[in-house]
Amino acid sequence: MIGLKGTLNVIDNSGALLVECVNVLKQKVNNGWGSVGDEIVCVVRRARPISGQASASAPKVRQGDVRRAVIVRTRKAVRRPDGRFIRFDDNAAVLLNNKREMLGTRIGGVVSADLRMKGWGKIVSLAPKVV
Amino acid sequence: MRVEKCYFCSKSVYPGHGSAFVRNDAKVFRFCSSKCNKNFKMKRNPRKVRWTKAFRKAAGKEMTVDSTIEFEKRRNVPVRYNRELVETTVKAMKRIAEIKQKREHAFWKNRMAVAREKLKAHRKRKLEKTSVKLVQPITPQAEKVKEKIKVAVKTRSALVAGEGRSMGMEID
Repeated sequence: MIGLKGTLNVIDNSGALLVECVNVLKQKVNNGWGSVGDEIVCVVRRARPISGQASASAPKVRQGDVRRAVIVRTRKAVRRPDGRFIRFDDNAAVLLNNKREMLGTRIGGVVSADLRMKGWGKIVSLAPKVV
Repeated sequence: MRVEKCYFCSKSVYPGHGSAFVRNDAKVFRFCSSKCNKNFKMKRNPRKVRWTKAFRKAAGKEMTVDSTIEFEKRRNVPVRYNRELVETTVKAMKRIAEIKQKREHAFWKNRMAVAREKLKAHRKRKLEKTSVKLVQPITPQAEKVKEKIKVAVKTRSALVAGEGRSMGMEID
């Protein structure tokens, strides 16, 4: 249940560390709660410090950027079709650009298997562990 | 579809029941109920909580090493569906459960044997000390079955039939 002001950890290598949700992008409603697999508009609150040299995994985002992201883990339990409820230890997201493509190139950590059902197969395939 | 074991109490969790918690190191904890879930959140160690199977096994109150337990190991290799295999597996599961139960009962009996011996010895000692002696109870006499016998009795009524007028009594 991510809504306005909700903070999420960023688990890809785009350079951001913490983002704050500003808007939940759902088909019919502008507000409401975001769950796993929902796209959100967020503000980068904390980012990795930009180094002088241009490295391969140079941080692409800076603090204060407004970007889009997709929620991959929530602390609130999500119901699976077999009736089980799964919850994670924290709220996490992966940054995207306006065309629903990932900004980072790698993902570190567990992601929820509900992503596949919502159409984020690319992220699922990149993730080291899917539960 | 899999029947998992609850992380806290080791009960079987069937589909549609319980919840799961995924830690950030990707370890999944399955719970059978909110009771176990809440205990876990309280950071209780199941090996110290008396009513869990983990405690019982750790304290030696339940059978831990046995060949029947080997059958319950988790297998990650899928097997091609075969109707006969399923039939024999189901039959085997029932039989193994029977054997396991018998062995567990034997284990329990063994565990209680020490206590039983102590109890018997204690009772014997107590009996010798007291002045009241236990005697065999007196068996009650077998009740005589009373039979109803019809006896022909001549009823000598003092009433004599009057001469059509009234009933008089003729007393000698």
